[in-house]
Amino acid sequence: MQMEPASFPFLSAILLSCVVGMLTIMLIPEEKHRLIKQVSVVFSGICLLLTLYVFFAFNRKLGGLQFVEHVSWIPSLGISYFNAVDGFSLPNILLTGIVFFTGVLTMWELNTRVKEYFALYFLMVAGVFGLFMSMDLFFIFVWYDVSLFPMYLLIAVWGTTRKEYGAMKLTLYLLAGSALILPAIILLWAKSGLDTFSFVSLMHPGLFTPEVQKFAFLLLFLGFGILAAVWPLHTWSPDGHVAAPHGVSMVHAGVLMKIGAFGILRVAIMLCPLGWIYWAKFMAVLAVIGIVYGAFVGLMQTDLKYVIGYSSVSHMGVVCLGLSTVTVAGLNGAVFQMFAHGIMTALFFSSVGYIYDRTHTKMIPELGGLSRIMPVASGFFIMAALAGMGLPGLANFWGELVVFLAALKVYPLFGVIAVLGLVVTALFMLRVVQKAFYGPANPRFAGLQDVSLWLGTPRIILAAVLLIVGLCPSLLFNVIRTASVPFMNGLLR
Amino acid sequence: MVGSPPHAVDLAALIAATMLPFASFLAILVATRGRPRLSAGLSIGSVTIALVCSIALLALNFQLAAPIQFSTRLIASSGLNIPFGFLLDPLNLLMIVVVSTICFLVQVYSLGYMAGDPGFSRYYAFMSLFTWAMMSLSLSASLLQLYFFWELVGLSSYLLIGFWYEKFSATQAGKKAFVMTRAGDVAFFIGFLLLFIHTGDLSIVHLNSRAALAGISPSFLTLSALLIFGGIVGKSAQFPLLTWLPDAMEGPTPVSALLHSATMVAAGVYLFARLFPFFSMSPVAMSVFLAIGTISMLLASTMALVSRDIKRVWAYSTISQLGFMIMALGAGGYFAGVFHLTTHAGFKALLFLCSGVFIHRYETNDIYELSRLGARRMLVPMVSMVLGAAALSGLPPLSGYFSKEAIMGSLSVLPDPVWLAAGLVGVFLTAYYSFRLIFILLLPGESEAPAGAPAAPAHESDESGHKFQDRVMALPLIILSAVTVILGFFATPLKHFLGASLTARGLAGTEASSWPHMAALALAVAGVSLAWIEFGRKGAKQVGFVDRIPSLYRLFSERWYIDRFYGLLVNVVVDRGISRLCYQNDKKVIDGSIDGICEGTVESGRVVAFLQTGMVQYRLLAMFAVLVLLALYFYY
Repeated sequence: MQMEPASFPFLSAILLSCVVGMLTIMLIPEEKHRLIKQVSVVFSGICLLLTLYVFFAFNRKLGGLQFVEHVSWIPSLGISYFNAVDGFSLPNILLTGIVFFTGVLTMWELNTRVKEYFALYFLMVAGVFGLFMSMDLFFIFVWYDVSLFPMYLLIAVWGTTRKEYGAMKLTLYLLAGSALILPAIILLWAKSGLDTFSFVSLMHPGLFTPEVQKFAFLLLFLGFGILAAVWPLHTWSPDGHVAAPHGVSMVHAGVLMKIGAFGILRVAIMLCPLGWIYWAKFMAVLAVIGIVYGAFVGLMQTDLKYVIGYSSVSHMGVVCLGLSTVTVAGLNGAVFQMFAHGIMTALFFSSVGYIYDRTHTKMIPELGGLSRIMPVASGFFIMAALAGMGLPGLANFWGELVVFLAALKVYPLFGVIAVLGLVVTALFMLRVVQKAFYGPANPRFAGLQDVSLWLGTPRIILAAVLLIVGLCPSLLFNVIRTASVPFMNGLLR
Repeated sequence: MVGSPPHAVDLAALIAATMLPFASFLAILVATRGRPRLSAGLSIGSVTIALVCSIALLALNFQLAAPIQFSTRLIASSGLNIPFGFLLDPLNLLMIVVVSTICFLVQVYSLGYMAGDPGFSRYYAFMSLFTWAMMSLSLSASLLQLYFFWELVGLSSYLLIGFWYEKFSATQAGKKAFVMTRAGDVAFFIGFLLLFIHTGDLSIVHLNSRAALAGISPSFLTLSALLIFGGIVGKSAQFPLLTWLPDAMEGPTPVSALLHSATMVAAGVYLFARLFPFFSMSPVAMSVFLAIGTISMLLASTMALVSRDIKRVWAYSTISQLGFMIMALGAGGYFAGVFHLTTHAGFKALLFLCSGVFIHRYETNDIYELSRLGARRMLVPMVSMVLGAAALSGLPPLSGYFSKEAIMGSLSVLPDPVWLAAGLVGVFLTAYYSFRLIFILLLPGESEAPAGAPAAPAHESDESGHKFQDRVMALPLIILSAVTVILGFFATPLKHFLGASLTARGLAGTEASSWPHMAALALAVAGVSLAWIEFGRKGAKQVGFVDRIPSLYRLFSERWYIDRFYGLLVNVVVDRGISRLCYQNDKKVIDGSIDGICEGTVESGRVVAFLQTGMVQYRLLAMFAVLVLLALYFYY
């Protein structure tokens, strides 16, 4: 694999801006809410700019690993601080940067325990960034848990509906996930005989026997699959979405679930390709069930956040279906869909957050007619719903198109069933829009304010990203294929 | 076969015609929401430029030899190579002129119709969105690009039907329209993806060439043709996805005129014509299309016989006329189908806009009510409406006569006479229901209101604004009436223009005998006469022959129970069936078992904790028990 060392440690700078941001916040007195928020915006803004720089500076012709930073840490165990980006991780890093920044802005009106909230939020995002850029298995595991631990507190303290239940359920599920991942990582480390956790060294086709690969793949797929809300391991995710405060829901649905899919791709698929091929059909079955099932359960929900939660189950099924096709197009579509879904759900939760802060409800029957009172705020939600239906012109369309194309080629029957799920998705999205935003205005909310420009900023950014990527998909596809094409070529050889 | 490169002028005109409406859509949404006049100005300005560009393109390329294609690759990743660009041939030159003309006229008309509406800016934003999507759809160079705009056209339809979103029926209708067309689009989507997997190219020119499909088995060809036709069925409201269109009449009337009669629903027929050479390579598929067109045409005509809602009558008639177009195309009559699309766009938009004037004035959709309130006294709309209805019925010398004649011609060359017979029945029914409505409007029954009753006092206060509204709404009516009168005489040059490309593809039209035209004309006259006897002549009871047969009346007014079926499907199968099952599974089975495990863990912890409460008795008891057990163990 081609490696391009970094002239300046941009990736560490991204991590540092999170950590320094967290430390700075902890040094500010509790009662200075405004200052804390300003500092958060500054540091997350720096982070976003750095990710944007990395995204655009990434050499699309060269591909391979770029911005490589490698420092040996515990040589006896072969653990090293090893960061790099490739075509798979780059869209996810950009996604994290965008969601991070907009998530801070979405919580601009937070009033309770502001300091702790933002400190934990920064810590969680640091873990997510670390996971996406780490090329060392040991660190991947560590970052996974770093991002997990603040999540529990963030939901349990600042959450809303059944927050203790949601937080506990999420934590238990995800710990169960890491209990599956850890043995698999140790197994791979032991079986390789190389005494290294370095991803690059472990990624050699003939390194592991097929039996080891099959076994390790299954553990890793299920472990990361929990985080990616693969059916039937998904029920923590809607509960978690609903319980979390809005900014955390954004990161949770927008980025954390991507960690699961990314883990499947980075660790399970790239290290155990034979296991991947062996279990591909199994993955596809779970994915297709997830797509259709998520949409049907979504039809029954009456809580705005639950609806989005189940739509996430359905959309992450599309990602998983793409991964299961064992084709370049499938990988391209899956990674694209990860990005698109992340931005879309962030837009969803940001809109719901704004609406909830005004109306103090997210129950669909109690809303109704919001379009008359808050046309702009409603407009953003409707736009996210349209993206969720896979409407052309918005990012999700391309992800779904490419995944379905690959799926129809490899598994015609599953492909057809998955595409039929689109009708149900359209039905439940439109129902929510109709019930919550159309109809006569509810007099209870008559005096509410529509979005001001500053409070609307996060949604303007997210909507713009959906539109730009939707109209210019090659922006992402050109990056992703620098990783997918060499990987699949190597596999076929 | 690759088209010749475009001229710079063409390209500039194409970009202006498609991108300006999009720019106006964005500008209205972002900047001018609070300024309705500016929004309307932006939108109408952009559509005017689009209209001028379209006419210029048609004039410049009237002698087009080969299709002009201009495209760039949008996504060029391995395994996916999608050209985006423009294709120019006679068919879409004609189509963009039709689309931009109707868009322009309807947007001008809306200045009057929508005046004072709180959502005025939003209305023009959506109109611009639609103009952009529809123009781009017509000019698409590849099937994927066409699908892209196809969905956006569907979106603008959804937004415009539900434009008055405080009305439950409107939002319900918008949702229904979107979901039903989505059902058809899913088939279309699968169809073109399969085609892409097997041919590797979705360029329309490529698909229409014989060479592209040489290596494909006939059954696969038929399958993909049928799947793509699914999209046409949805968009053009054909059987069995036809019930969304009458409900779509909940939208503002200009919207019905533009989207749900003249242009958007015709996009389905346009797609059929667009891929006509491709479809005609599968005879099986073509006969299925013919059958679907015929069924839709007859079903919708019968529904129109009993409706009392002026807009719904025209809506059913739209379905039935689209059925005629699909019949014509399915029978191989390329020119007949496309020509009927063109003439229909003119006279159906006219009919809707006339109805809009009445609805705007009298605020009711009921034809008997309109008649009682004195609709016949409004000269311009009434005359225009009679013209439009006569064209719809196929009376000479109006445009509809010529296009219907062409359709009968193409049906008569089929070996099986049943299609022609069905077509002739359709002609009779069309004439009957059109003039039923006209006679009811013109000749109020005995319960006429006292003459000179003030009709719409709501508008009286603002006399000058009222006058402006009337004028701005009358102008498009006059233009469209003129079009309806003269368009028929352009049949020959148009046939030559359209045929130039078709003969190049080796699909020459066939000559037909003349008796079907005579029969069609006779039946149209018969239909009008029957309507006269039942509704027109002095002392007529204004009760149609269908009204006298209760079972038939119920069947027709319940729309053949198609809607009931869909209602049951969604309510029982989806909501109470699968959805509930999945939901319960989530709650009871998955969560239930997980919670059960957790509770089990907690419970077992509690049992153990019970031993640790610190009470001496329990400790001693436990110690004793353990000792006994140990003793037993060692003893044996």
